[in-house]
Amino acid sequence: MIKIDQKTDEDGVIMMSVHSEELKLHHEHAENVKSVSDREITILAIESSCDETAAAVVRNGREVLSNIISSQIALHTVYGGVVPEIASRKHIEKINYCVTAALSEAGKTLKDMDAIAVTYGPGLVGALLVGVSEAKALSFATGIPLIGVHHIEGHISANFIENRDLEPPFVCLVVSGGHSHLVVVKDYGEYEIIGQTRDDAAGEAFDKVARAIGLGYPGGPKIDLAARDGNPQAIQFPHARIDDAQYDFSFSGLKSAVLNYINQSRMQGQEINKNDLAASFQKAVVDVLVEHSMRAVKEYGYDKLAIAGGVASNSALRAAMQHACAEQGVKFYRPSPVLCTDNAAMIGTAGYYEYLKGVRSGLDLNAVPNLPLGDRERRFHVM
Amino acid sequence: MKILALDTSGLVAGVAVTQDDRLVAQFSIQYKTTHSQILMPMMDAIRQMTGMDMGTVDAIALAAGPGSFTGLRIGSATAKGLGLAWGRPLIAVPTVDGIAYNLYGCEQMVCPMMDARRGQVYTGIYTFVPKKVNELKGEQIYDMQVLHPQCVTSVEEIAQELNRRNLPAVLLGDAVPVYRDRLEELLKVPYSIAPLFRDRQNAAAVAALAARYYEEGKTVTANEFAPEYLRPSQAERSGAEHGHEAVTAEDRKAPVRVFVREMTAEDVPAAAVLEKEYLRKEAWTEKQLLEAQARDDTIYLVAEKAGRIVGLCGIQNISGDGEITNVSVAADSRREGIAGKMLHQLLERGRGIGITAYTLEVRAGNLPAIALYERMGFRSEGTRPGFYDAPREDAAIYWLRK
Repeated sequence: MIKIDQKTDEDGVIMMSVHSEELKLHHEHAENVKSVSDREITILAIESSCDETAAAVVRNGREVLSNIISSQIALHTVYGGVVPEIASRKHIEKINYCVTAALSEAGKTLKDMDAIAVTYGPGLVGALLVGVSEAKALSFATGIPLIGVHHIEGHISANFIENRDLEPPFVCLVVSGGHSHLVVVKDYGEYEIIGQTRDDAAGEAFDKVARAIGLGYPGGPKIDLAARDGNPQAIQFPHARIDDAQYDFSFSGLKSAVLNYINQSRMQGQEINKNDLAASFQKAVVDVLVEHSMRAVKEYGYDKLAIAGGVASNSALRAAMQHACAEQGVKFYRPSPVLCTDNAAMIGTAGYYEYLKGVRSGLDLNAVPNLPLGDRERRFHVM
Repeated sequence: MKILALDTSGLVAGVAVTQDDRLVAQFSIQYKTTHSQILMPMMDAIRQMTGMDMGTVDAIALAAGPGSFTGLRIGSATAKGLGLAWGRPLIAVPTVDGIAYNLYGCEQMVCPMMDARRGQVYTGIYTFVPKKVNELKGEQIYDMQVLHPQCVTSVEEIAQELNRRNLPAVLLGDAVPVYRDRLEELLKVPYSIAPLFRDRQNAAAVAALAARYYEEGKTVTANEFAPEYLRPSQAERSGAEHGHEAVTAEDRKAPVRVFVREMTAEDVPAAAVLEKEYLRKEAWTEKQLLEAQARDDTIYLVAEKAGRIVGLCGIQNISGDGEITNVSVAADSRREGIAGKMLHQLLERGRGIGITAYTLEVRAGNLPAIALYERMGFRSEGTRPGFYDAPREDAAIYWLRK
């Protein structure tokens, strides 16, 4: 069971410490953990790509010794979305507290670390720069190697933390406020994007629809909650398919259909049942996500499917995926909801596999707001 | 006492190490560079060349704001990380005070001005007053006195402050070249401009001033430190200023200057609106602009008039060929020469990143734009039939080759 200690600072920022005995499983007992290295590898990880400042200490890739998340969500709610400048300023205020807490809760000091992993993209550039600058300074000051980690690779790797039997290859659906990717994880650190959204990310569609029906921000959890009391069959919304790219998504048509429905209802003076609308919209999104994911697993001949990213904590998506996988004899993996949100433990896990491969970043590491997945070498070149 | 000092508040990226009365090392770059990519390598170069164990410094000093928000973030997170790792305190030197300290010993008014965009400057007024004469050596010691603490204000207001004091002044900082003409009009007191080796942010000056702070016990823990922005974020500002944005008739009469400068992430929303207004369906989105702006091989400039973004242009360097990707001017600001002003700067800056030839596409029927390009020396080298939609139109391809 995951336990979260949390307190709210005077400025409205929520400081969380995520504990779990399972996450902390002692090394000797972790037979399933493939220890590629002879000795223990302990990594300090830092994440600040959006509105969560986070730090964690992870041992051998899958054992989370500490996981500190400072969430600013309450500050951005008044603006109906994340304000980059406010987020960046808060990161500066919180970053040292998070790093210090992560080390002390793990019972470690900086000297015990084998590497420092940090998210360097994609994300908000001002926000990323805080984590990247902090991590580079720590690395410079201590001589501990630095590893730049891709944020989405982190989300995918969150699945390794609670599922010690999970190993590549598998298919992973990454769905969040900024991403909707269908990814084939061929090996640790080897990714191929087979499908992505043509327009809005799934989470973005949730936010926009939630705003349109007055549920507020953040849209995902609000819609999830409203949908529980609604009838998913009440309204038939279109399921977009893209002919020449069978794994791609498109959510803007669905979003427009929802907005049209709202307008028409208003013009006809009909009361909108928010719960039914939320449930029907959510079903339309979930259906497409499940359908594409299952098709990919089947065609690639894998028996494992994972989900990751903020939207992966959506209860309807989890239930529908679970159901579809059970039907087809596919093993289904998903992180606990707290590990679906932005956190540093997942960055530590992804960083560990990079570490084993010998990846090291220089002191010139920069924040790359539009960093493509699995495409690190080409990041500064025009293709 | 050893101090490591950083200044990333403006265009200068600077690192200095001082030990007691000695400037051990200083590395300063004022060029089109990304602070995030050069600051740590600069520090590392100092470490390697001096062979010094940097962990032995007593404190980490930094220009603690105001300044470029991005620059302040990089410097602050770096200083906080170093402070955490070494268990050392930080010394927060107000950026403008640090710049003024360049002119230690100057008994005139010292007025640094940093370009704060939107027609404003980060500024303050300082002077150095003789403190006491050292009996043995007969050496004069000065104290920096703050006549007007650092603030964000208009050039007009700070000029008025200087005039009111009626003393000779020395000006420095990156806003001086920007507002030089305006200052000439406004200032009634004799003034001079600091020479180029003392006219900008200087990490050694920050270190020297920080040493005094340290002696006075003015340090802050690395955990607690946060920079002084002097300005709320845009979101907070628009919340606070709601309803006060109307331009008064008085404002309209004043001659309005147009400034061309590099686009920052903060300008992107306004620039995207401009694109949309001008190009409709072909306009770049906010996301595209933000991505393009962050790249190393592009230059994006905006024209700012009375605090509003009225023009946008951008170029991408494709192995020496500069493709001009955007040129937009707000509908109410056309025929004021803004596009020409932006393009001249764009070509000038393009040369700085290795561009030798320039190319662009324009709607074949956009005669005012074509006339401008031809005046600037662009020549038509072909057309792309039916390139544009709504309405369908050919694109004329123009090149400027040197």
